[in-house]
Amino acid sequence: MSVTLAIAVGLLMGVVFGFALEKSRVFEPGIIVGQMQLRNFIMLKVFLAAVATGAVVLAALNGFGYVKLAPKAALYGADIVGGLILGAGISLAGACPGTTLAQIGAGYRDALFTLVGGLFGAVAYSYAEPALSKTFLGQGGGKLIFSDLAGIPYWIGALILAAAIVVILVALESWRPWRPELGNDADGDIASASAAATKTIHIVPAE
Amino acid sequence: MLTQKAWSPYVAGIVIGLLQIPAFLIIETALGASSSYVTVGGVIASWFDPAILNIGYVARHVAINGKNWWQVALVAGIAIGALLSVKLSGARRQSISPIWQRALGSASPARRYTVAFFGGFIMLFGARIADGCTSGHGLSGMAQLAVGSTVAVAAMFVGGIATATLVLRRI
Repeated sequence: MSVTLAIAVGLLMGVVFGFALEKSRVFEPGIIVGQMQLRNFIMLKVFLAAVATGAVVLAALNGFGYVKLAPKAALYGADIVGGLILGAGISLAGACPGTTLAQIGAGYRDALFTLVGGLFGAVAYSYAEPALSKTFLGQGGGKLIFSDLAGIPYWIGALILAAAIVVILVALESWRPWRPELGNDADGDIASASAAATKTIHIVPAE
Repeated sequence: MLTQKAWSPYVAGIVIGLLQIPAFLIIETALGASSSYVTVGGVIASWFDPAILNIGYVARHVAINGKNWWQVALVAGIAIGALLSVKLSGARRQSISPIWQRALGSASPARRYTVAFFGGFIMLFGARIADGCTSGHGLSGMAQLAVGSTVAVAAMFVGGIATATLVLRRI
């Protein structure tokens, strides 16, 4: 396929992706930091719903032989060290690499600094890559997937995952409904919302 | 629906998950975001240091091919889609989210910009060590039942929760 067509498809998909990220409010620093402080579960809900949908879609596409899977190789050292650093960055940025762009589109100015920091981080890693890949970070196995370990076809494993996620989401939703977690301005700022509510109670004159 | 300020997280999550269809069928790859930072960062860095293109990792990422530049277009599209959604819903944002004043214990924009830059830096440095981010390992890797991606996502949440709890203040 031509690069031009790939770019056109990418732009179109990105617009849908960004639109859904903005509507879900998962790009909000209040939602992301709130999730990491375990006081707001909208991020986990969007994430798990997208994983379950992807699993069902891929179960069908792969099960009927339309597409090959493209899992990343299991490099445990790199997955753990990189994942920990990435997670720390997500909390400080209040964004992930993808939602940084949604924040820029929605008008958050600090996200421009996140983006530039991210580009510097990617370039710094690029310079370090030849050395790092020779360390334990470059060691690991092949493209391991759970269904192979269990000895079942991928599509069955994917449907089991999707079903398990649905059960988790139903439980999560009954424990923490999503609407109150949006906050007054749909930015996940729950503390201000409850502070405002408390203030309203205080100014009610005593009879 | 397009003019609403917020969708149910489940509806939005399903829309995002469905994007795997064009990704796998048309581009023959999975959704991802963090490689594009190497592509764009590598191109910009090569203006100052052409020798960076001798690093195989950079050369692979800046090569003019569908997969590399599809992902750059995807993340650019994310900004356009978010802008479009805000224009339709009128969910205008302040230049810095009000939660940062509490999380950082300071209303200073300079302080927030510094933290954002540093956060972005380690976010991408970590994502490139792990070879993927919330999209590549999270959305795509977990949907494909990848063992390494599941480990990476668990580590990501551990790192995120520890930092948000120990470094940031309660929002």
